[in-house]
Amino acid sequence: MRRAGELALRGLSSLGLSCVLLVLLGLLTWLGTLEQTRSGLYEVQRKYFESFVLSHDFGPVEVPLPGANLVMSVLLVNLLVGGIVRLRRGAATVGVLVAHSGIVLLLASSFVKWRHSSEGHVTLYEGQRATHFQSYQRWELAVLEVGDDGRVLERVAPQERYEHATPDAPAVLRADELPFEVRVTHVLANCSPLPKGPMFDVDVPVVDGVFLRERARDKETERNIAGAYVEVRESGATPRVGVLWGAQSAPWSFEVAGRRYALDLRKERYPLGFTLALADFRKEDHPRMNMARAFESDVEVREGAAKRPVTISMNAPLRTGGLVLYQASWGPSNARASDPLFSTFAVVRNPADSWPLWSCVVISLGLVWHFGRMLARHVRREVGLA
Amino acid sequence: MSVWLRLWLALALSLLASLDASAQSVRWTPRALELAGSLPVQEGGRVKPLDTFASFTLLRLNGKRSAEDGDGRKLTPTAWLLDVLFDPEHAARTRSFLVQDAEALEAIGVQLDARRKRDRYSYRELEPGLTKLFDLAHQYDAIEAAQRSSVQSQIVALAENVLLFARLSRHEIIAVVPPPDARSEAWNTPAELRASSRALPTAQAGALDAFETAFAAAGRGAEFEAALERFHYHAVVGARLRGEYDKIPSERAYYRANLLRWSLTAFLLAFVCTALLWLAPRRKWLYATAAALCAVGAALLVAVIVWRCVLRERPPVSTLYETKLFVTATGVLIALAIEAIGRKRLALSAAVVLGAVGLFVAHGYEVLDKRDTMPALVAVLDTNFWLATHVTAITIGYAAGMLAALLASFYLLAKLLRPGRLAREQYAALSRMVYGVLCFGLIFSLVGTLLGGIWANESWGRFWGWDPKENGALLIVISQLVILHARRGGYLREHGVCMAAAFAGTIVAFSWWGVNLLGVGLHSYGFTSGIQTALWSYYGAQWSICGLGALAWLLERRRERAARAPTQFPAARRQAA
Repeated sequence: MRRAGELALRGLSSLGLSCVLLVLLGLLTWLGTLEQTRSGLYEVQRKYFESFVLSHDFGPVEVPLPGANLVMSVLLVNLLVGGIVRLRRGAATVGVLVAHSGIVLLLASSFVKWRHSSEGHVTLYEGQRATHFQSYQRWELAVLEVGDDGRVLERVAPQERYEHATPDAPAVLRADELPFEVRVTHVLANCSPLPKGPMFDVDVPVVDGVFLRERARDKETERNIAGAYVEVRESGATPRVGVLWGAQSAPWSFEVAGRRYALDLRKERYPLGFTLALADFRKEDHPRMNMARAFESDVEVREGAAKRPVTISMNAPLRTGGLVLYQASWGPSNARASDPLFSTFAVVRNPADSWPLWSCVVISLGLVWHFGRMLARHVRREVGLA
Repeated sequence: MSVWLRLWLALALSLLASLDASAQSVRWTPRALELAGSLPVQEGGRVKPLDTFASFTLLRLNGKRSAEDGDGRKLTPTAWLLDVLFDPEHAARTRSFLVQDAEALEAIGVQLDARRKRDRYSYRELEPGLTKLFDLAHQYDAIEAAQRSSVQSQIVALAENVLLFARLSRHEIIAVVPPPDARSEAWNTPAELRASSRALPTAQAGALDAFETAFAAAGRGAEFEAALERFHYHAVVGARLRGEYDKIPSERAYYRANLLRWSLTAFLLAFVCTALLWLAPRRKWLYATAAALCAVGAALLVAVIVWRCVLRERPPVSTLYETKLFVTATGVLIALAIEAIGRKRLALSAAVVLGAVGLFVAHGYEVLDKRDTMPALVAVLDTNFWLATHVTAITIGYAAGMLAALLASFYLLAKLLRPGRLAREQYAALSRMVYGVLCFGLIFSLVGTLLGGIWANESWGRFWGWDPKENGALLIVISQLVILHARRGGYLREHGVCMAAAFAGTIVAFSWWGVNLLGVGLHSYGFTSGIQTALWSYYGAQWSICGLGALAWLLERRRERAARAPTQFPAARRQAA
C-alpha cells in the first residue's frame, strides 16, 4: 500500500506528467483559438477553458479531450508536489522554486477569478446614474412587487434555475410570501416576438396574437436576446400565460389578490454598492480620421452623502469598493456631431485582481535568478576554455 | 557550396536592384522637387513630409515607388504627386495603377493589346471602364472581404485607388494648409478652402492664393517655382507656429539615408564572407571581416530603430512592421553575443542569415502593406509604459524563439546533409546554444505574456480572456516550457531539443502573424492580409526540417547500431595444401 502511494506520488510529481499536461494545455489553447473562427469567445471559453472534459470535432471524428480546468488542476497538483514540495533544495534550485511559487499564485488567481468574480457593464448617457451593473451574457428572471411604501421588491431567479425548462419539465419558481408560483415552460436563447399570421402554425404558445420565434444563436453570445414563456398559477384560478422577451421595454405585469406584480427577463444585475453618475464623456479623434485617439468619462461616485469626482479613461480605471470600472466603449457608433453619446464601463469584481501582478514579479525574479546563474556559469566555462 | 553562393549573390543583387529608388524626373526642377518634398502634410493622424505621403500613396496605387509617364520617363513619388496636383492631364497619362490580373480589366470592359497579365495602367487607359468599375466595386463591396474572389478584391481595390487618384487631382485629401487657430487640430485641403463660404483667415488665404498661382503656372519653370516657394513659406511657417514642423526634416533625412538598405547590404556581404569562411575556416581575416560586417549591419539596424523611436516619441515596437525590425535586430544581437562568448562561427552564421532574411521580409511587408509605417495608434495603444514593457518583452521573446529555431535548423540540416562535417563538440555546442536561447526567450515570453495580461486587466478589465493573440503568446511559453522540462527529465536530448525548437519556430510564427489571419479577437490593430503565402512557406520549411531531422536521427541510430554490432570475422578460408 505504502509502495503504491509512493509510486502514485512519484507519478504525480514527475516531469513526464508536467510535459504531458503542458502539451495538452497547448493543444487545448490551439484548438480553442482556431474554434473562435466558428464560435463566439464566450462559448469557446466555456467549452475548452472552463470545462473538465469536452469533445472536439476533428471533422470525420469527435475526440474526447480533458478540459483546460482539469488539465490546470492536475498541473497545479503536479507543480505543488513535484515543483515545490519534492524539489531538491539547494542554491541551484532557488530560482526554480521561486518561479514555480509564482506560477502557483497565478493558477490560484485564475481559480479565484473563475469561482468568485462577477463581470458586467454599466452604460450611461451624460446626466444618468446607476446603482448596479449588468452581465454581458447571463439572464435572470425577476418578480417585481410594489410594496406598501411604494418601493419595488425584487425576487430574482438566476439563469441556472430555469434555463433547461421545457413544457414537460417546467421550472417552478415560488416564494413563501408570494400568493402564486411561476412556471417557466419554454426558454429560447435567441428569439424575437412576431404576430401570428393565419397562414402558418407555430409549436409554441401564442399569447395575445404574438409568439416568440427562435433565431439561430449569434456567435457573439452578448448579442442573443433571450425569451421565455411563463405561467402564473394561483390556487383556484386558471393559469395565466405570459411572454417574456429580453429586449422588452417594460416587464409583463399582472394582478394577484389585489396586488400588482411584474415579471421581467433581463440581464443579470449586480449591485455596485454606490451610485455612479456620468457627468461628462469626451471622445477625441485623430485629426482628419475616424479613429479615436482617446476617450474618457468624468463620473461622480456617490456613497451616502459623500460625492467624489473621478475621471475614467483608457488604461486608467477606477478601483473602488472591491470593484474595478474601466472605460470600455462608447456609442452610438453612427452618432452625428451634435448627438448625445453614451459611455460604457466594464465592471469587474475580482478578489484576485492584483494577484497576477505579484505572480509576475515573483516569476520574473525566479527566472532571472535561475537563468542568470546558469548564464554566468556558462560564460565562465567558455571564457576559461578560450 | 559554390552553387549556393552564386544563388545567394544573384538574390542579393536582384534585391538591391528592387530597392533602387533612383527614378528621375526632368519635368520639375530640382528646386521645385525639394520645396514640394519638404512640405508638411497632415495625413493618417499626423503631420509628415510630402515626400513620405507621395511615397506611400504611389506604393499603394502602383505597387512600387516609381511610375512611368506617358513619355516613358521614370518619375519619383514626389514628381508623380506634383503631376497629379499641378498637371493632372499629364498625370492621367502616367501608368499609376498596378493591376495584378488582366481578368479584372476584362470584367470592366477594358482591353489593351500587348499587355502582360500583371501590368500597370494609366488613368486614361482605364477611363472607358470606370463606370463599370464603380458599379462592380459597389456590388462587391457588400461582400465580406474574406469571401471575395481574387478578381472581386482587385476590382474593389482598383476602384478605391482610382477614386484616391481622382480626389488627389481635385486637391482633396491632401491637407497641406495648417489652420491658424491653435485650438483646431485638422489641417485643410486646398479644395476645402476653395469651397469655404466664409472669409478665410489671412494666412490660409495667402496659402490658397499661392497654391492657385502655382497650379496656373505649372510647366513654367521659374514662375511655378516662385509660387511654390510662396506656398511652401505659408505652410511651413503655419506648421512651425503650431509646433508641428520639428520632425519633418528628420523624417526626410531618415527616408533619404535609407539605412535599412545599407544594413541589408552589410548583412549580405557578411553572409558571403561567412559562406567563404565555412570553405576556409582557418582564415582569421575572413572571420574578422564577416563579424565586422555583421556588427555594422546590426549597428545600422539599431540606428534605424532608435531614429524611429525619436521620430515617433514611442518605444521601439508599436506596429507590426516595427516588430520585424526589432525581432531582426534582437535576434542578430543575441547571436552576436553568443558568438562573442564562444567564437564558433555557428552563431555568427545564424546572425547574418537572420539579419538578411529579416530585413528582406520587412521590406516585403512594407511593399505588401502599402501603408505609412509610422501610423497613428488606436486609443488603447496610446501608452508608452505598456508598449515599452509588454510589447518589447514579448517581441524579444519572438526574436529568441526564431533564433532558436534557426540554430536548431542548422543542427538538423548539418546532421542530415553532412553528418561528419561538424565535430561532435560542435553539435553539442549548437544544441547548448539552442537551449540557452530558449531559456533567454522563456524569461521574456513568460514575463511579456504576464505583463500583457496585467495591461489587459488595466484596459479591458480582465487579466486573461483567451483572445487569439493572448493564446498565441501562451503557446510560445508552453512550447518553451515543454522543451526545457522534457530536456530536464531526459525525454529530449541534443537532437530532440533541436527538433522541438525547430518546430517551436512555427508556433512563434503562428503567434506573431498566424493569429492575425484568423480575423477574430481584440487585437484588431494587427490584422494583415496577403502574408498567408509567406507564413505557410515558413511553416512548410520548418516542418520539413523537422521531418528531415527525424530522418537524420533514424540514420544516426542505424549508424550507431552498426558501429556497436560485434565485428564479424570473414569466413575462414581453407589454406591450400
